[in-house]
Order: sequence, then structure tokens, then C-alpha cells
Amino acid sequence: MVNKKEQFIKTIDEHKKIIYKIVNSYCPNRDNRKDLEQEIIIQLWNAFDKYDDTYKYSTWMYRIALNVAISFYRKEKKWFSKSDFYNEESIFKVEEDTSEVETELDYHLKLLQEFIHNLNELNKALMLLYLEEKSYEEIAEILGITKTNVATKISRIKLKLKNEFKKIRKNGSRRV
Amino acid sequence: MEAGEFKKILAAYDTKLDEKLSLNVASFKSINLDKSEKRTLSILKYRITEIVVFSLLALFMGNYIASNWNQSHLAISGIIVGIFTLIALAGSIGQVTLLKQIDFAKPIVDIRNKIELVNTHGLLFVKLMFLSTPIWWSFIVVGSDSLFNIDLYANMDADFVLKYLMVNSLLIIPLVWFLNKLTYKNLHIKWVRKTIRLFTGSKTMKALEFLNDIEKFEN
Repeated sequence: MVNKKEQFIKTIDEHKKIIYKIVNSYCPNRDNRKDLEQEIIIQLWNAFDKYDDTYKYSTWMYRIALNVAISFYRKEKKWFSKSDFYNEESIFKVEEDTSEVETELDYHLKLLQEFIHNLNELNKALMLLYLEEKSYEEIAEILGITKTNVATKISRIKLKLKNEFKKIRKNGSRRV
Repeated sequence: MEAGEFKKILAAYDTKLDEKLSLNVASFKSINLDKSEKRTLSILKYRITEIVVFSLLALFMGNYIASNWNQSHLAISGIIVGIFTLIALAGSIGQVTLLKQIDFAKPIVDIRNKIELVNTHGLLFVKLMFLSTPIWWSFIVVGSDSLFNIDLYANMDADFVLKYLMVNSLLIIPLVWFLNKLTYKNLHIKWVRKTIRLFTGSKTMKALEFLNDIEKFEN
């Protein structure tokens, strides 16, 4: 049992960025993020024994984390038990950025994250996977749609994103 | 800004996370993972309760029909009520099957479809309620006979029965048309949205809207 838990912690540690990014994209409310993080961890733990090794670990993890995040986002928390087992503390630690100057990268990242926030639940998943440089085949596998559909949707979202950025630049504003 | 640039932004973010993101092992270890295994989905309990109730009702109706087989008006009313009970029972069994198939490790679109179908269960009862309008008298006949031992049909005017059958048979076609309209595919029609919202509430409405989104996403 201890070994299984240790192995699970190791797997989560190796893929922590997946969970962190999904939580940040689906949970705009900072206070609720730790609940979502923990719900994802619990669902991953429940499915850990049933992991199907015909898929990559990351595919398995994306599916579970995205399914939980979408449910959470859609206020389906009652599907799960009450949050009596949720910790007060987040399971991820991010070192504070000491620099007070917002770089161009930070600014663009913020815009990109805001754009992703505004997509609907399914397109958000698609965009996250695309930006993670997943192949169309893997995206299709995670989402359960065809490769052609993935390609069409991505090109549409990319165009939308390009236009959004263009609009912001044209307005010369740093706010979205 | 091109796609390559977005990816560059994300790659830089990744590098930043590689440096700054770490797992809070102490907090992680304190999550009660084992407790979660014992959790049961409350929604599943509700649906199983529905199955038990409808099964008992179906058994009761079977018995009612058998014992009143010689009195055609009671037997026919019993059969009508029995059919509705069986439809409701089939709906609840379908829900439990769907719930059992929900596995978050499966592709997202498939799982979302199943979850939202579970969330739209209320619509089945609303449809059954509307569908029973032309034959509402069957429920009254069976109810009064089994609860109070009063055979209402025997005290009815023959004229009333004839008029009832005529008027209500006229209702069937518009009712079938109306019920066919009450699906997520027709949410763009204002009265459909209003009717569903009025009878099922906002949760079912949201689930239907999402089913619509899923269908668009799949095509």
C-alpha cells in the first residue's frame, strides 16, 4: 500500500504541471482551486489501479483531470462527496515572483490565459492540449473526436485568438 | 501573433513552472485518499431508489391487471398505468446503466454526454406527465379502485365516456408533436426553452444546453 502511494506521489510529481495548468484554466476563483486540485488527485487515485497502459500516462491523466475540471466548472460538485476531506492548503507550491516589473512575456501569458478562460469547456480543453503541443491524434484520443475535427477546430480557435490579439494591439490597451 | 508565438509563450511559461512549481508533499499526504474509495454517488442511490419504487409499482399493476382481467375497464386502465410505470422504470434503469459507465479515464466527449444525459432525467418525467394527459382518467380509475375500492366507471354516464374518448384522442397528435419538440435540438425555439425551464428547472436546462454544445463540438 505504501509503495502504491509512493508510486502515485511520484507520478503526480512528474506530471504536476498538467494538473496545475488545468486547475488554473478551469477555476477562475483562486479560493476554489485547492478543492479542484484535490478532487483531481482523488479521482486519479481512484483510477490508479485501473490505469490502461495502452495509453500514455499523460493521456490518462489529461482525461481524468479535464473530466473532473469540467464537472467542477459546471458546479457538479455534489456528484462527489462533501468536501470534508479537503485540505486548507494547496498541494502545489509556486515560488513567488520577486520581480515587480511585468515582462512582455508575463503580459502575453496573461492575455493568453484570459483568452483560454473565456472559451467554453470543451474548446478550453482542446486549446490547452494544442498549446501543450499534443499531436492531433493524441488530442483526438483524449477528447473522443476525430483527428479531422481536431484540426478544423484548432484552426478556428487559432484564428479567433489571432484576431483577439490583433484587436488588443490595435487598441494599444494592456487590458482585455 | 501566430500559433508559433503562442507556443513560445507557453514554452516560456513551462520553463518558469519547471523552476518554480513544486509538490507540497506534506499537504498531499494529508489528503484522505482512502476515504474517497468508500464514497458512493448520491445520484446513483436516488436512481436505485427509483428503480425499487417503480418495480414495486409495476408488480402491483401486474397483480391489479390479473385480478381485474374480467372487468375490461379496470384491466385497460391498469394496462395504461402499467405501461407508464414500465417506461419510467426503463428510464431509471437506463440512468443507472449510464452512471455505471461513467469513467473519467474515458474520452471526454463520451463521458460528458453520459453525465449530461443523467442530468436531463427530469425531462423524461415531464414528458411522461404530458403524455398521460389524454388518459389521465385511467390513473383516477385505478387510484380510486385500489385505494378506496370505488369503481368510478360503473357510476359514469355512457355519454361522458364517449365524449372523453373523443376529446382526448384528438389530443394525441398535437401532444406527440409537442413532446417531439421538447429536446435539446430545439432550444433555439423560445417556447421550447421556456417550457423546459418552467417544468424542469435550470439544472436540466443547463444540461440540455451542454448536450447541444457537445453535439456542435462533435460535428
